[in-house]
Amino acid sequence: MRGAALAVAALAFAAASAARAEALTGAQIFLRPDKGNCAACHQVSDPAAPKTRSDLGPRLEGARMRSIGRERLRALLTDPMAGNPETLMPPYGRHRILDASQIDRVLDYLDALP
Amino acid sequence: MRCPDIHRAVLAACALAGTCALAAASALASPAEVKGEVDARLHAQLPSIETRDYALGSAAFDEELRAQEDAHADAAKPVLAKGAALWKRRFKDGHTLSACFPNGGRRVAVAYPQYHPRLKLVFTLEMAINQCLKAHHEALLDYDGAEMAAITAYVRSLSDGYRVAVRVPGAAQAHFENGRRMYFSRLGQRNFACASCHIVAAGKRYADVPLSPVVGQAARWPFLRGEEVLTLQAQIRACLERMGAAPFPAGSEELNDLEYFLTYLSNGLPIRANAWRP
Repeated sequence: MRGAALAVAALAFAAASAARAEALTGAQIFLRPDKGNCAACHQVSDPAAPKTRSDLGPRLEGARMRSIGRERLRALLTDPMAGNPETLMPPYGRHRILDASQIDRVLDYLDALP
Repeated sequence: MRCPDIHRAVLAACALAGTCALAAASALASPAEVKGEVDARLHAQLPSIETRDYALGSAAFDEELRAQEDAHADAAKPVLAKGAALWKRRFKDGHTLSACFPNGGRRVAVAYPQYHPRLKLVFTLEMAINQCLKAHHEALLDYDGAEMAAITAYVRSLSDGYRVAVRVPGAAQAHFENGRRMYFSRLGQRNFACASCHIVAAGKRYADVPLSPVVGQAARWPFLRGEEVLTLQAQIRACLERMGAAPFPAGSEELNDLEYFLTYLSNGLPIRANAWRP
């Protein structure tokens, strides 16, 4: 019985690992039009990101992101209207554009920006 | 997840940078007052852009884009030739689309959409074309089909350079108001309103392209993208998709009212149909 439970746990772990391996990176979520599509509005200090002149939102740089802090950024991504009812930024969490794990990966990406 | 109930979204509260006051104050305003408020806001926001250049859309903010449009000035020729042939084609009873309209269609596009007092609805150029076909026992065209697009491209080219002159009589104010309300309402999963991009952020760049101001948008349709003809309603439907909202069908009362509102805001600007777009 215990062996069977271990086997099920191992299978679940393997499945989760495979899902993680296939999961989009924070940069991909940031860029993809069907996901964050953040680059449509923001320029970003990632040398690997496509260069754009988009300026609907402010330019995103690592020092600024880290000074805002992860939890404030998480709240902003989840429901930006809570802090600013007039914002044009989509409510990524509240409208389920991104799930919690995807928001986490975007936060990792923003935190690691130069 | 997409927001399936767009009607509920339309009725949702508007909370939009700097436009709430405009939207709320305009709730009972006349069309002329609404246009005056929008014009004043855009002039304050875009002081370096002349009013007549609003009709250039995104190209008003980008020399390179304007040069690209100029370089593709002949791109519409095949579509216009197709539209002209359909416009002059004889029906089974010997009539033509051309004969259904004053002056063979010259300058008629400036006055569409218009309010139809008997049907009590907004009547678009496409509806007028289909009405002519129906009156002469011809098959109706799909509202957003290629043949209708080619015909509207041609008919609007017959009004090139003439100023948009749409009227909103008292009986039509509810339709204008419906269009205005939709324009200012946040819609869809991304929670944008049309006004988010084309009033609040007009002139800024989204996906690297300058956002056209609301005034002028109805003066320069259709566009050509490759060989595809994009009517104003096709463009609105594409925007709704980007907003994560289920688009209203082409020719629906919602899109017709939105087109009515948009076109009235472009009154006085010269029509520039069939510009090329990258």
